[in-house]
Amino acid sequence: VQWVQIDLGASHPIYAILAWHYHSQARIYHDVVVQISDDPAFKSGVTTVFNNDHDNSSKLGQGQQKEYIEVAEGKLFDAKGAKGRYVRLSSKGNTTNDLNHYVEVEVYGLPK
Amino acid sequence: MSRAGGAALVVLALAAGLALRGARLDERPMHHDEANQAVKFGDLLERGTYRYDFHDHHGPTLYYLTLPSAWLAGRHTLASLDEVTLRRVPVFFGAATILLLPLLSSALGRTATGLAAVLMALSPAMVFYSRMFIQEALFACFTLAFVLAVGRIAVGGSLGPWISAGAAAGLAIATKETAAIVLPVAVLACAIAWWTAAPERRPHPFTQGRWVRPASIGVAVALAIAALFYSSFMAAPGAILEPLRGTSTYLARGIEPASHAHRWDYYVRLLAWSSSGGLRWSEGLILLLAGVGAATSFARGPALPPDRIFWTRYLACYLALATVVFSAIPYKTPWNLLPFYVAAFPLAGAGFAALLAGTPGRALRGALVAAVAVGSLQLGWQARRAAVVYAADPRNPYVYAQTVPDAVRMAARIRELAAMHPDGAAMQVSVIASPYEQWPLPWYLRSMPNVGYWTSPGDPVAMRAPVVVTSIDHTPGLDTAFGDRYVSEFYGLRPDVLEALYVERGLWDRFLARQAK
Repeated sequence: VQWVQIDLGASHPIYAILAWHYHSQARIYHDVVVQISDDPAFKSGVTTVFNNDHDNSSKLGQGQQKEYIEVAEGKLFDAKGAKGRYVRLSSKGNTTNDLNHYVEVEVYGLPK
Repeated sequence: MSRAGGAALVVLALAAGLALRGARLDERPMHHDEANQAVKFGDLLERGTYRYDFHDHHGPTLYYLTLPSAWLAGRHTLASLDEVTLRRVPVFFGAATILLLPLLSSALGRTATGLAAVLMALSPAMVFYSRMFIQEALFACFTLAFVLAVGRIAVGGSLGPWISAGAAAGLAIATKETAAIVLPVAVLACAIAWWTAAPERRPHPFTQGRWVRPASIGVAVALAIAALFYSSFMAAPGAILEPLRGTSTYLARGIEPASHAHRWDYYVRLLAWSSSGGLRWSEGLILLLAGVGAATSFARGPALPPDRIFWTRYLACYLALATVVFSAIPYKTPWNLLPFYVAAFPLAGAGFAALLAGTPGRALRGALVAAVAVGSLQLGWQARRAAVVYAADPRNPYVYAQTVPDAVRMAARIRELAAMHPDGAAMQVSVIASPYEQWPLPWYLRSMPNVGYWTSPGDPVAMRAPVVVTSIDHTPGLDTAFGDRYVSEFYGLRPDVLEALYVERGLWDRFLARQAK
């Protein structure tokens, strides 16, 4: 499992996270988990926004969402106003190889 | 170069070639073409019967010549086969091709053939495709054997070269239908070289009428070998003419391919230079030296031995003509370059020998040897990178429509699920996908007897399986049909080819419970 983490500098209510792993080939990234927390280690106060690790192989909890194919428009995760300073996106390889690409991640929230 | 030095160089090349070709043979996932050959071979192994199918299969030599490898490994069923048992057959023929090169040492010199062997041993293309369980490594070996035998006939050989040429031609015909290209091209190239290279040569047997008997024997040997293989050693005599029935299929596929259509310069670009994702590849050293070797056979200058002029010109004509013909055919797969690329290595050796002979001073000659040695080592480094490190990586230019590791994980998941099912390995699995999206699953699920294959959903028998594999196109319909009764997950089969795995919810829950323990 690999992850990228974004530090917003302070805790904010977050409403949307938009992520692009890849866009030039039909691929599915495995075990995508998107979480928000004020703890940079993500050990406490973690809100899981999206999780499709349905066999819990990443040990971040069993996900209920379905896997999705990467498209040029990216994938929108509804954060529903969850508050936190850090956003972490985890994944575990993809249907073509074992790499975890991130073309772009956008986080939309309200400033203080 | 002394006889001992030449022999040492060839032994070194063979050792390096075998090490590169035989390393970690089981790691790269089985390509769908390999899987198809493997399952076809499994039929021969288990039932002892083989029938040539001209619709979608090449010749039978690969299957029959794999039998000794399976027997040696004590494998008697498809389920018991493994990748190493299969892939060491092309490895063997890849190494045998290297050993053909010293046959040219009397014509080209030991320096030329020694370096040719080293370059062939270390060439990334030769290494990579000698590790695939497909016909190409065998076909390249038989083609080069034919090229050499025809040349020996031209320089005055008697019965021996005719029989060798016949045997090589018979094996090439029984291996792949593109023998219809390379064999005539070799004869044409030989004729061009003969007529242009050595008008002062001694009279040839052709001019004295002494060729009819050995030629007849050579042709008879070729026909007998091809007939034996295609007829499954006379078990099905009617199949001898089957390859001719496949002519229209292969012509149509070659000229108007539904897939595998590539630009005319596909092969040359693949060998000359490619770069992707930070990885760079080139076999330019071999192409450059082969160009020098070809140029020396046509250049005017210090008199070269007639045999050397003939052989280099013959190899150059064969390489050029075969490259043009294969490049002109719209249908291209990268391993198709092997039967003409094999001629580049003796030419490259001859080019290096000519450069060495024309370089004044010991220091400059030493620098030339050092430069080629470094270039050869760099080729070997590329070969290892291609064959082992990036063996299934799309950034590797030799990788083509390769099965991805995700497909192997899907097969492993299916076997894990079967272990949780009351029927065990006899659990029904339905694969609903086009044939192109089914392979290589028959190989990976070979130990499960109740795997069924359908090309479209709808058959109630297919839909009642606890595990269903389907192409991504069928998922909307299956999502609706299965509802909450099945859990789905996705896997890659090849780049841009995705499959969905549907698992009956009860079986999935039992699987998860076991995973949690």
